[in-house]
Amino acid sequence: MRLRTWAFCLNEANQNLLRNPVLAIASITTTAVSLLVLGVFLMLSVNVNAIATSVESQVAVRAFFAKNVSPSQEASELQTVRGWSEVRTAALVTKEQALAQLKQQFGNQAKVLDSLGSANPLEDSLSVTAQKPQDVKDVATRLADLSGVVHTTYQSAVVSRLFALINDVRIVGLAIGVLLLIGSLLVITNAIRLGMAARRREIGIMRLVGATESLVHWPFILEGLILGGIGAIAASGLAYWSYVAAYHSAVRSLPFLPLVSPSPIARDIALLLLVLGILLGAVGFRISVRRLARI
Amino acid sequence: MISVRRVQKVYPNGVTALRDVDLEIAKGEFVFLVGPSGAGKTTLLRLLFREEVPTSGAVIVNGHDVGRMRPRQIPYLRRQIGVVFQDFRLLPQRNVQENIAFALRVIEVHPREIKRRVAQVLELVGLSDRGFALPAQLSGGEQQRVALARAMVGRPVMLLADEPTGNLDPQNAEDMMRIMLEINRLGTTVVMATHAAHLVDRARQRVVAMADGAIQRDELAASYHVEVTR
Repeated sequence: MRLRTWAFCLNEANQNLLRNPVLAIASITTTAVSLLVLGVFLMLSVNVNAIATSVESQVAVRAFFAKNVSPSQEASELQTVRGWSEVRTAALVTKEQALAQLKQQFGNQAKVLDSLGSANPLEDSLSVTAQKPQDVKDVATRLADLSGVVHTTYQSAVVSRLFALINDVRIVGLAIGVLLLIGSLLVITNAIRLGMAARRREIGIMRLVGATESLVHWPFILEGLILGGIGAIAASGLAYWSYVAAYHSAVRSLPFLPLVSPSPIARDIALLLLVLGILLGAVGFRISVRRLARI
Repeated sequence: MISVRRVQKVYPNGVTALRDVDLEIAKGEFVFLVGPSGAGKTTLLRLLFREEVPTSGAVIVNGHDVGRMRPRQIPYLRRQIGVVFQDFRLLPQRNVQENIAFALRVIEVHPREIKRRVAQVLELVGLSDRGFALPAQLSGGEQQRVALARAMVGRPVMLLADEPTGNLDPQNAEDMMRIMLEINRLGTTVVMATHAAHLVDRARQRVVAMADGAIQRDELAASYHVEVTR
């Protein structure tokens, strides 16, 4: 089509929007809100995932020595473990240190430990962290095979529960987002259909005088793209801006949290929302197009 | 120009609108389609601009078999055909010039050419001074002349009119008839379905009389009713 024909289609699309501004605003806001919700869940999910990953990699595997193992053997085992490529840190925790930690963890209830008297039921152990979270299990198995080690533990339960929780959050977020997207799709479709009904006479005349079907369709395609697009621009701008803002304030107040820097991720999510919004408009037109054929 | 061969049209609801209709119309002819309501005049016209397809038989318009035409070719057929209806079908929020120009804008004619042709066709229908009026500000006769101008602005080889004077008072109907005869004189084939007996009688053109979906009479230089030999 020629440029002035595009201008004609755009003008027709605009008139459709202006003819029913309330519906246009409703379409744009529902699109923006649903995309924004989706975006926020994506951002949360990405970050919770990052936090969980870092928590998992910090999980220490403890390898406990038998009572009869000599300190020199313990030291040599420590050296061996430090040589493993998947190990990040390894330290020897004596039973005295372990008892002190335990007292600290018990806080003001530490008195219960006094009943032990001078006896220390704890064992010397190695505290080992892995380079990567997926190495944790391997490290635990290798530690168990060391001579003098009686048993190993790591907090796999905590981590797997954390991951299950993240997964649930992600599914719920996705479900809410998808439901909202369907809602906004219906609103957009409705807006396009009302436009078709309002332009019934025009469409009839266009076909009568020999306008091609693509020229009949384009004003409505553009209408869908405008509705979806404006909603998407609002949502993706808001998502991007709020991510950057939230990231900077979180980094200041919670510096220990391993949050995902906005530089690639906020932009990617904003782009994704933009594409989704435009897609909504296109799909909205696609759904309404059968109505157009009957006019 | 138009060749209708053994055409039958049965609507999905079972009504038979046309039975075995044969009709040949040459280039440059003026043809009245007459007959009572429900005789099949409108259906016949709608077949010619491919608003309907025949149930059986063939409709050949300007060399194209309209019934077997691919959908994407339809717009190009319609650019060769002007159509006027009883109910004008103007766009109420656009003025006269815009209504006429609309027909050319949607087939991507250059704006300069549109301007030139709109002025020409407004002169043809005698509305050069009403270009900026809205349809609501015009009389019925003027509105129908705008519709006629819109049908003609694409320079069609044929004009189809479905009871174009049905909503007009006698004076306006006569003006309309005069313009349509003028259009025909300039070379456009015209097919006009009508109930206006006095217009048909005055014009002395070919008359095709229909009843119950079939052609009853086809005479040159004829009148609305069967003429008794004087």
